[in-house]
Amino acid sequence: MTISALLSQYGDRYLLALVTTWKLTVLSFLGAFAIGIIITVLRVCPIKPLRAFGDFYVQIFRNIPGAALLILLVYALPYLNIVFPYNTCVLIATILIPSAFCSEHLMSGINTISPGQIEAARALGLSFFQMIRRVIIPQALRSSVLPMTNLLVATMLTTSLASQVPMRPLELTGIVSYINTRAAGGVMAFVISAVLYCASAVIIGFAGSLIDRKVRIQR
Amino acid sequence: MSKTPSIRDMLYEEPGPKTKKQIRVITLFAILLLAALLAVVIRQFYITGQFAPRYWYFFGRWTTWRFLGQGLLVTLEAAVTGSIIAFLLGFVLMRGKLQKNKIIRGASVCLIEFTRGVPTLLFIYFFFLVVPQTGWKLSAFWKITLPCAISACGVVAEALRSGVNAVPKGQSEAALSLGLTKTRTFYKVVFPQAIRFVIPSLIAELVIVLKDTTFAYIVTCADLMQNAKVLISNYDAMLSVYLVVALIYILINYLLNKLSDRLADRLKQNPAERSAA
Repeated sequence: MTISALLSQYGDRYLLALVTTWKLTVLSFLGAFAIGIIITVLRVCPIKPLRAFGDFYVQIFRNIPGAALLILLVYALPYLNIVFPYNTCVLIATILIPSAFCSEHLMSGINTISPGQIEAARALGLSFFQMIRRVIIPQALRSSVLPMTNLLVATMLTTSLASQVPMRPLELTGIVSYINTRAAGGVMAFVISAVLYCASAVIIGFAGSLIDRKVRIQR
Repeated sequence: MSKTPSIRDMLYEEPGPKTKKQIRVITLFAILLLAALLAVVIRQFYITGQFAPRYWYFFGRWTTWRFLGQGLLVTLEAAVTGSIIAFLLGFVLMRGKLQKNKIIRGASVCLIEFTRGVPTLLFIYFFFLVVPQTGWKLSAFWKITLPCAISACGVVAEALRSGVNAVPKGQSEAALSLGLTKTRTFYKVVFPQAIRFVIPSLIAELVIVLKDTTFAYIVTCADLMQNAKVLISNYDAMLSVYLVVALIYILINYLLNKLSDRLADRLKQNPAERSAA
């Protein structure tokens, strides 16, 4: 099929798929970010069992393959009487995996803060949570813009997991196998999706380096 | 975790007696909370009958483990082969990106960005759906290994490039002034030093390739995941088999990541290399 034939026949579907991928990416990223912050606070708090839990959480979801997690959620959890709709399963998987990486990025962001900052905060009489909220997190966030940009791209790539379950509406990877099982879409069906993915990644990367230049702390 | 003192331990000073008591109370509370969480999970397993021996007895047989081991071997084989191909492709792309020639450089940059911006699954579907249409016959093993390698090569190229950039400029200047050609300077002086910096990120990349190979069930390659499916249909035990298989994956990736961290730490602690890294 030529590219124009594909676009005239499936153009609307591609547009919907692009929007679906974006929506899923943003939702997953926000969820991953929120959980990532909570887990990071647990990992630096003085309560040993909570620390251990945070480390455990990160190791599990950093190392589990996306396909394995999604299959567990979709096919194995119902045996425990826990049944989620397909879309929820995908969203859970695409939140849990990036959240572990988010926490790892935040931890290395925290590691770039100089001990003097913490000594100063303590000398001013800030409590632990005040220090976390007013000193640690703002600095860690500012120095982790670039890793977070990469995380956003990685999250977008992770959302392609949705093609492994019958999720509707289709996202950018799902639509390719949809078109190819219906008609021989050939190489072009892939090229369109790939270009849309790439363009999204390039836009994210560009925005990321713009923000990074604005907020980065020069040391 | 790492040998270098982490900021994690510097966040608070030695607690006084009052705080110590507080921490002890909260710790107790946290332990109770986590125990309750665990209890809920175990209870759910219990009431749904997932602890029944018929779901677990076959893990006592060594044939089960041999079968899973065969799958694991294919998984590892695919991951290692894929990583080697990704390394070779990544090396070529890195060399391309560092060329003076604008066309070669532009093409390399485009290819790197392309492979980094497209999900592995899309490459897998390409090899699964489109490649057979062209009449190019590939075995299931290559149908999973090649897409994983292609999707990793851009990241490898960037890692190698950052390693090359981390080698102090004086090294190549010294080599050039000794009369080495540019090519020899790169292969004899710069690259051997660069590769040491990037070994940790190359191992991390191996983990990513290994995770990507779990999609092998799409092309019905008999990897760990696929063999798990066979076990499931033989014993009708979905949850237990998938849990065990997920744990195997997690354990292998955990060990590889640990190795990568260890090597990165050693690189940081070596004073001769600290200035360059």
